[in-house]
Amino acid sequence: MRKSFPVEDLARDERFVRVPLATRINDPRNAQAADSGSSGRRGAGRLTPERPDAPDAARALMHGIFVGEIQALEGAGRTCWDFEVGSGNGEGIPEVPFELKLDMARQCWDEARHCEISIKLSGHMGTELGEFSENTFLYEAACNPDPVLRLTGVNRALEGLAIDVFNTMREFGEVAGDPVLEFCEDWMLADEVTHVKMGSDWLRKLTADDKPRQERALEFQRVVDKLFSLGGFRGEEDDSPVRLARRFRELAGFKEDEMDTLAEIAKEAREEMEAIAEANRPAVAH
Amino acid sequence: MPVEIRPETFSLVHFDATEIRAIVEQLVEVIGLPAASVTIEVDETTLLAHAQVTSTDPIVIAVESGALEDPKVVGQLNATATADVLGKLLLSAKDRLDPAFGEAPADADLTLSEVAAWETYCIGRLGRLGHHVQRQRRLYQFRNRHGFTDAADAAFDALWTADGLTWADISAISNQATA
Repeated sequence: MRKSFPVEDLARDERFVRVPLATRINDPRNAQAADSGSSGRRGAGRLTPERPDAPDAARALMHGIFVGEIQALEGAGRTCWDFEVGSGNGEGIPEVPFELKLDMARQCWDEARHCEISIKLSGHMGTELGEFSENTFLYEAACNPDPVLRLTGVNRALEGLAIDVFNTMREFGEVAGDPVLEFCEDWMLADEVTHVKMGSDWLRKLTADDKPRQERALEFQRVVDKLFSLGGFRGEEDDSPVRLARRFRELAGFKEDEMDTLAEIAKEAREEMEAIAEANRPAVAH
Repeated sequence: MPVEIRPETFSLVHFDATEIRAIVEQLVEVIGLPAASVTIEVDETTLLAHAQVTSTDPIVIAVESGALEDPKVVGQLNATATADVLGKLLLSAKDRLDPAFGEAPADADLTLSEVAAWETYCIGRLGRLGHHVQRQRRLYQFRNRHGFTDAADAAFDALWTADGLTWADISAISNQATA
């Protein structure tokens, strides 16, 4: 079986359609959202039951979670396979400790369960599998050839986003009085905290004596974090649909200053999205 | 009945006014609208998905492009979503034009529960007219506004399968579900 599986070759049936992130960002209608002071892609603000479109917004977000779980399973599975067992401390050597592979195997078990839960939740919410487009940037972050960068990008950035999303959905279920959604999201949230902590712990262990590698990994995390902020979809602004779950991130090993930095990154991502929208404004004016 | 689509040509999305008109004409025929004309005003400058009836006679519907868009293909029209969104609104317009339906509050004055109840009644009928509808999606919306309870599910079924309801009937079923 080959190593480092390219995103184009992921197995999907005809129900699933991929839309690149760039296609969404370059949609000229984003300019209108900038005019009105809120991004259309971010939607109508924070996800609460009071929003008239809340049930459909929750359905779309849940579908995003579902395809994210598939890709998280694929990513963790690849990490189990793509690297040989070794110390994992060598510069540029694709080796990882056996215990890291064991953690990834456990994560696969979790992600597979999350896929099953997401399918059942989608049914509960009236969503057909593949009803919304799939974006594969989650898996793409799991293709880094350096296991430390891969784990930092996936387990700290990707799974960190999962903490924020699951917490948002858990709160939504709680306020809406939906016991099924609240219960499922709470359990998946607990797993995500563990996954992020794995990333934090392995980053520390594998780069204890290699600060340049640690810095490269953290820089990769910043890049992925900005991408995953989705132009302000995730952030600490009042109208961000998904908010940073600081308490749960703290449990997962994030320090206060790291979360402050993440909030800044999200703000930057929002400003960049608004700049793109501004650049597209002439098309709308026309 | 004349059906007008505005704009006639789209520049920011790949919508075809002729295709939208054909969908609306089919809906108008099966629903049996008594209005003089139907105008659909599509706001293609936004990707949001709000849609509302702004006039009942003649019928004018204002809809944001996201409501008619294929959730899998950016900027492409989705015929099923278009029939779902516009069919629901045309049925609610027909209700308002029917003296026997009674006086419903203005759209802006409807509560989220009332909106969900009326939409359930409309979409249930749309499904029986032969259009693809998502029952579980509508049940989820109804539960969000009326509670995740057996009483709410029974109220949903009553609305989903009904014909010839008045506004007072819809309002009463909605209120009972949340009581």
